Amino acid sequence: MNPDGRLRRQQLAIGLISVALLADQLALLQLLATSQWHHFAYLVISVALLGFGAAGTLLSLARQWLLTRLERLLPLCLLGCALGLLLPLLAATFLFGQFDSYLLFVSFAEILKLLLVCLLLFLPFFCGALAIGLLFAAAPERIGSSYFANLLGSGLGCFVGLAGLELLFPEQLIPVCALLAWLAALPVLAVRRGAVGAAAAISVLILIAFLKPLPVQLSQYKDLRRTLDLPGAEILERRPGADGQVHLVQASQLRGGTAVSLNWRKELPRVQALFSNGDRVGGLDPHLVEESPDDASTLALPYALTTPQRVLILAAESGAAVAQAVRNGAKQVRAVAASRTLWQTLSASKVAQELLNHPRVDWRQSAPRTWLVRDRESYGLIILPTVGSFGGSSGLYALNEQPLLTREALQQAYRRLQPEGLLAVTVWFDYPLRKPLRLLATLAEALELEGGDSLQQLVAVRSWGTLTFCVKKSSFTVVELAGIRAFCARWGFDPLLLPGLTPAERQRHNRLQDAQLFVWFDQLLSPARQQLYADYPFRITPAVDDRPFFAQFLRWPFIADLIDLYGTRSMPFVELGLLVAALTTLVLLLLALALILLPLLRLPKGEGGLGRTLLYFSGLGLGYIWVELVLIHRFSFYLGQPVLALALVVGVLLIGSGCGSLLSGKLSAARPGRWSGVLVLLIVSYALLIPALEQVSLGWNLWLRALLGGFTLVPLALLMGLPFPLGLRRLAELTPAQVPWAWGVNGCLSVAGAAGATLIAVELGFQLMLLLAAGAYLLPLLAGVAIKPASSG
Amino acid sequence: MFMKRTALAVLLLISPLLVQTVQPSERAAERLEMVREQIAARGVNDPATLQALREVPRHLFVPPDQSYAAYADGPLPIGYGQTISQPYIVAAMTELVRPGPNRKFLEVGTGSGYQAAVLVATGAEVYSIELIPQLARYGQANLARAGYPQVRTRSGDGYYGWPEAAPFDGILVTAAAEAVPPPLLEQLADGGRMVIPVGSRFFTQTLLLVEKRGGKFVTTNLMPVRFVPFRRAE
Repeated sequence: MNPDGRLRRQQLAIGLISVALLADQLALLQLLATSQWHHFAYLVISVALLGFGAAGTLLSLARQWLLTRLERLLPLCLLGCALGLLLPLLAATFLFGQFDSYLLFVSFAEILKLLLVCLLLFLPFFCGALAIGLLFAAAPERIGSSYFANLLGSGLGCFVGLAGLELLFPEQLIPVCALLAWLAALPVLAVRRGAVGAAAAISVLILIAFLKPLPVQLSQYKDLRRTLDLPGAEILERRPGADGQVHLVQASQLRGGTAVSLNWRKELPRVQALFSNGDRVGGLDPHLVEESPDDASTLALPYALTTPQRVLILAAESGAAVAQAVRNGAKQVRAVAASRTLWQTLSASKVAQELLNHPRVDWRQSAPRTWLVRDRESYGLIILPTVGSFGGSSGLYALNEQPLLTREALQQAYRRLQPEGLLAVTVWFDYPLRKPLRLLATLAEALELEGGDSLQQLVAVRSWGTLTFCVKKSSFTVVELAGIRAFCARWGFDPLLLPGLTPAERQRHNRLQDAQLFVWFDQLLSPARQQLYADYPFRITPAVDDRPFFAQFLRWPFIADLIDLYGTRSMPFVELGLLVAALTTLVLLLLALALILLPLLRLPKGEGGLGRTLLYFSGLGLGYIWVELVLIHRFSFYLGQPVLALALVVGVLLIGSGCGSLLSGKLSAARPGRWSGVLVLLIVSYALLIPALEQVSLGWNLWLRALLGGFTLVPLALLMGLPFPLGLRRLAELTPAQVPWAWGVNGCLSVAGAAGATLIAVELGFQLMLLLAAGAYLLPLLAGVAIKPASSG
Repeated sequence: MFMKRTALAVLLLISPLLVQTVQPSERAAERLEMVREQIAARGVNDPATLQALREVPRHLFVPPDQSYAAYADGPLPIGYGQTISQPYIVAAMTELVRPGPNRKFLEVGTGSGYQAAVLVATGAEVYSIELIPQLARYGQANLARAGYPQVRTRSGDGYYGWPEAAPFDGILVTAAAEAVPPPLLEQLADGGRMVIPVGSRFFTQTLLLVEKRGGKFVTTNLMPVRFVPFRRAE
């Protein structure tokens, strides 16, 4: 066989399998986010990296044995990968519905199920990575071009995955990924009866999986599952989308209203409900003229104060707040919807047509926070989306970034108000009390930073279930205060914060067994605020842009106290999100040690300098993944389209790094650590550059911003592709026995870095994470600039 | 889900046999301990409520595979995303509606049937509605098996209540929604009380008590798990 022809076929196989594996990760992310929760997204990324790391270790341990059987093993691995990619679909049908993440901390059976899911996810990545590793090892002299094919394929895979999710549901996209893996086997498939038979059988399975996808079972805790369990529930529309698949559901028991006053005597109207990735977004309220139950909830408080000329409604997806503004006489309503797929679903709904085409409503599609920064107009009323839900979310959204609920976001919203304008936000009560306290703290701090007086410009009204805050750009007038009292009297609500409020007024209609709530609220508006932050067992300090995790309340020092109070069985129901992230990080770290590093102990460690080698490659493993995650976060804000940000950052970094590795073949490998030094400087300058970039170009058209952002990333991406292949080359020249250790520790730290990144972002913030990433890239520099045995250096 | 459905079907099939084999004294010691440790110790002291909880065999209202934990201090899943509430929540809700003979109650959300059984064990007249037909049959079978066939049950949308039997001295909404249905408020007798658990269905954190007085309503947020900061500023 022509060696060049063979090499080209092998590189095609590497590229195709890389496309398949990355696109599959994106499909799995959405599959797990819909059937379970988005926490498991971190699981997918880490397990994929684990598969790569474990494959590298196996290759190190049995390199010769594997290479002598390359012709037979390669198609086997690729076909095994294609088959393995279908396995999570079986798990989605038979396992996900039974899996109970709340019991992870008390039930061994649930831990076993989690491990089984990990194993099912692990197998295809392990097979695919082994195939790639075999091809790398088969042509070591072409490592640069093979690595380029791998990274180029991965970068393209990101775009293929996101484009696929725009057109297909994840359970359909996964067979497409399996098909790509199957196609990757073709160029290297020897024409043998067995191989062809296996390939044919797998192609039939893929076809069946695509044409007749198995139903995905949803966790019993998902809103969508609970709704579909209602008798007669019917899915009116289901739409795929990279920003989340959407369901529009109808059931006779679904009715409108948010903590409606008990004085509301009319029928609660039937509504259709919208869901994104299985989580309820809201009900479609078609009432544009006659009074609706939401007008008998605290949501209507701002309309008791004013009939605004111009209203801005952020995250307006379900349209309920928009309909309320129209009903209450707003002359011009600007509705900003974040999710394109939700917006498209709404557009297709007959019920929503009148609202969508209403002459007083101007619909825009953008991330609300980005809109807030770009918008230069001012409003009489700005409405933020309702925080929390009736059933409480038990810390489920702890790891969700909520950029609209940070102190800076509220400051920006405040600046957009007209001189007499109002900012309104409603929150569901939760127990133990967390969200209302944190929201008040954030509003008060934002207002004070803008020079306002929280005692004169902030009011709050409470019903049996919700609390609505209104912040005014100026002090409330006597007439407005009387209007609030009349509103409360009509609907049976109680003012909670109001200038001149008497204690008796606070509990006239809705009493509290424990009146401590009032003490805390008053303390938050007093100089003793900091003391409450320190004493309260949950984190209630305002969320900030650097740590935009509004729903993350857990404070590690108080965990033992909380377990004493609620018990181990109930504790996850209070604060689940971060606990799951911590547990998965621990499990994956242990798996990485067991599958990647421990087996390497059997190998020789070279003639010394192993510590330096480990330092060099662990720094690269951590640095790369942390830079990537911080950039995704920053670009989500910059572009206002999180999905586009993900595609752009991951795609450009991977393709750029691929080009970098190709370029590395032409560079000297004598002092590979110096490139890390350059990277440290570049990362620090990016930390300064990106805010400047946002300042200059945030007002530009989306695609211009994407183009500029993409170009900005290119130098960084190119450089990030250099230290790894250069380090490997240098190591292969000086201490070849340490090459497997280099692969192993890099894989292991990538797994741990990906899994632990969330914990770092939540606890320390993104800015510090970027500095930590720079610090990680400092490690290769500290390893001695050049990798060499200790004896010689 | 398939396993749960199968278990439910098997349970329904063999329930007539079980009716004849259940002994009221079965696991009585566990019930006494449950009432002493989990309920009386937390401040529920209505004698009728405590006696009912000592009598009703809770283990007959949980799925067989959960029977071992029937008297444990927590809710248990019964399928269809529903739970049998934590014993303490059942006790607290029962006490709040002031149970006893010659009183009439409506329960919205039959579920396992346990709450209805506790109410009827106080001598009250009980009506119970369940939305999910399979659960309605399951709850009905449990009630019959445990010896409480006098509970009137039906499958349907709890939104409309049970107007033919109204007014009620108390209404327990065990499957609460974001808004309290106006028909239920209408069907509450003057001076009557309605209790709604609020919070995660799998870990109730608070109860909402609605009292009707002269056609007006007053609510009270009750906190079964009273939460205070551990370190208060002195």
